[in-house]
Amino acid sequence: MDDRVKPVATSREQDMPERRGWSGPTYYGRSQLKAAPFDPWIVGGYIFLAGLSGSAAVLSNLAELVRGKRAADVGRRGRYLSMLAPTLGSLLLIVDLHTPQRFYNMFRIAKRTSPMSIGTWILSSFIPFAGVGFLSQLGADVFKLAGLSRFARLSFAPAAVSGAGLSTYTASLLSATSTPYWAAQPKELAMRFAASSIASGAAALSLGAKSDANRRTLETIGAAALAVELAATVMSHKTVKAKGVAESLKSDWGKTEEVAALGLGVLLPLGIYAATRLRGRKPTSANDLAALATLVGSAMLRVSTLGIGDDSARRPEVSLRFSQPENLPPPKRRLKSV
Amino acid sequence: MNVHPRARDYTQSSLGKLIPDESELTAGVKIEPRKQYGFFTDTTVCIGCKACEVACKEWNNLPADNVGLTGHSYDNTGALSANTWRHVNFIEDSFSKDSGGKSVRDNDQSPFQSGWLMMSDVCKHCHHAPCMEACPTGALFKTEFDTVVVQQDICNGCGYCVPACPFGVVEVSKADGKAHKCTLCYDRLKGGLEPACAKSCPTDSIQFGELSDLQARAKKRVAELHDRGVHTAYTYGTPDGPGATGDMQYLNAFFLLTDRPEAYNLPAAPTRPSNRIAPALTAGLATLAGLALAAVALMASGGEEPHRGR
Repeated sequence: MDDRVKPVATSREQDMPERRGWSGPTYYGRSQLKAAPFDPWIVGGYIFLAGLSGSAAVLSNLAELVRGKRAADVGRRGRYLSMLAPTLGSLLLIVDLHTPQRFYNMFRIAKRTSPMSIGTWILSSFIPFAGVGFLSQLGADVFKLAGLSRFARLSFAPAAVSGAGLSTYTASLLSATSTPYWAAQPKELAMRFAASSIASGAAALSLGAKSDANRRTLETIGAAALAVELAATVMSHKTVKAKGVAESLKSDWGKTEEVAALGLGVLLPLGIYAATRLRGRKPTSANDLAALATLVGSAMLRVSTLGIGDDSARRPEVSLRFSQPENLPPPKRRLKSV
Repeated sequence: MNVHPRARDYTQSSLGKLIPDESELTAGVKIEPRKQYGFFTDTTVCIGCKACEVACKEWNNLPADNVGLTGHSYDNTGALSANTWRHVNFIEDSFSKDSGGKSVRDNDQSPFQSGWLMMSDVCKHCHHAPCMEACPTGALFKTEFDTVVVQQDICNGCGYCVPACPFGVVEVSKADGKAHKCTLCYDRLKGGLEPACAKSCPTDSIQFGELSDLQARAKKRVAELHDRGVHTAYTYGTPDGPGATGDMQYLNAFFLLTDRPEAYNLPAAPTRPSNRIAPALTAGLATLAGLALAAVALMASGGEEPHRGR
């Protein structure tokens, strides 16, 4: 049936559009916006790897700072994990370009109004420290040189700073667009992504940790991050409902988010950690499962967020509802034009 | 007849060369760098002839998108795209019933066509252009005529301008992997020519000119329409009005509409996406900092725990 057959809002309803969606006219049900030409799996995969590597750098540096030699194995795995974003992550970014042979044009300029430019430079500042840290760690592991592992530790320290940026900037990358699901929740999305990054970093570091003490601490950090992610998810869903974008949560991607990101990625590991901790036993294969579920869930959060965003951009009843005056931000200080 | 005096110098129908500053003759405006130019699209005089679509395709050498019928009134173009930089919307009567219960063109004429709206949509060449602000390569830039253009030799097809646009204008072409949109005929402006769509418009629904001049013309036209009983007339995209909300300020290509923006597939209150960078970055870094502090506390307290079960 044609969209025009839908009942048209009365003037009173126009003042207070339905929370569910836009009930006024659409243009033959055609999209009002264009969805990002990103592949959700490729770009979502990059966002996951950026969060994982960035947070692994943050946590492993902190662990070595606080626990010194006792956390040497955590630092070592942190330096290996931090290579995921510079290698596989960068590759995914280039693959997703529609003219990949010109990827270097990203380095022509630095622009603060473009999170993609900001991210380019954050990743670029991460690569040298992560790279030197990784190579010297590799050298120390292969040639058993104690001096080289101290150099690895020192040279890797600045990666914690750019790692913090790498774990978080990707939320602003999505929110600074006109895609309703992303634009509706800059803060909530940023909290979810940051918490999910730390959770994935802690989970990856905890897998195969040599000492139970380090492993337990990493699991507790991971659980705390998952709890924050859970709270941010509740806030996020509340915000998108209030802004009339919630229809897109009912899409296939929305269901994927519920099952894979929330169920598998947050609730299952939280349950496992709670159960094993209550019994007070040493880490078992159930803990490995929790860490793996956290990693899969963290990746699926990013992939499904991209998918839900695309759905919200394609549906005119969502985008026209989102762009109603009631969703305008309060007037604030203005960013100068570039 | 309102003919520019210089027009008498060119009486032949075919010329061997360009007329210097031809836009003076066709649009009454001289095109000079460092001035702001734009389009004023007055939808009340659009007759849906699609001359603008054809002129745009001809001048810019753009292929057809869809050769077929959509079933959506006379609109077989569908939407603006990488290959379609002018698009005429056809909105039939039933859409406009909700603007006060009366059809927007309600008058004493016979019913047919009385409530039929046509509107030639185009890139808005926003003052704070979200596509340009999002572009990480600098391929999108503001020209000396205050218009927004993609440099095809720079664009690497990252596609970030596509979701940035609040109007769904920019698109990455599958054919060449670059972003494309209306250039406001940058090449023609350089040569002193009026943009192709505006020059071809037979009813002057599309007017090209200096922005301040166009805004004044639009204001006058709205007042005139109100006087004639068309109380629904308003401008979309003039300073801080509908379409220029949320720090968008104003659109260089703006419209005179007689129904709510959504009927024309336009957002009622678009926002400037780059204003969301700071809140997102701050919230993300604050969350990360909080969790990092918690991690330090946990590491400092739990480190001495004896290894159980060993």
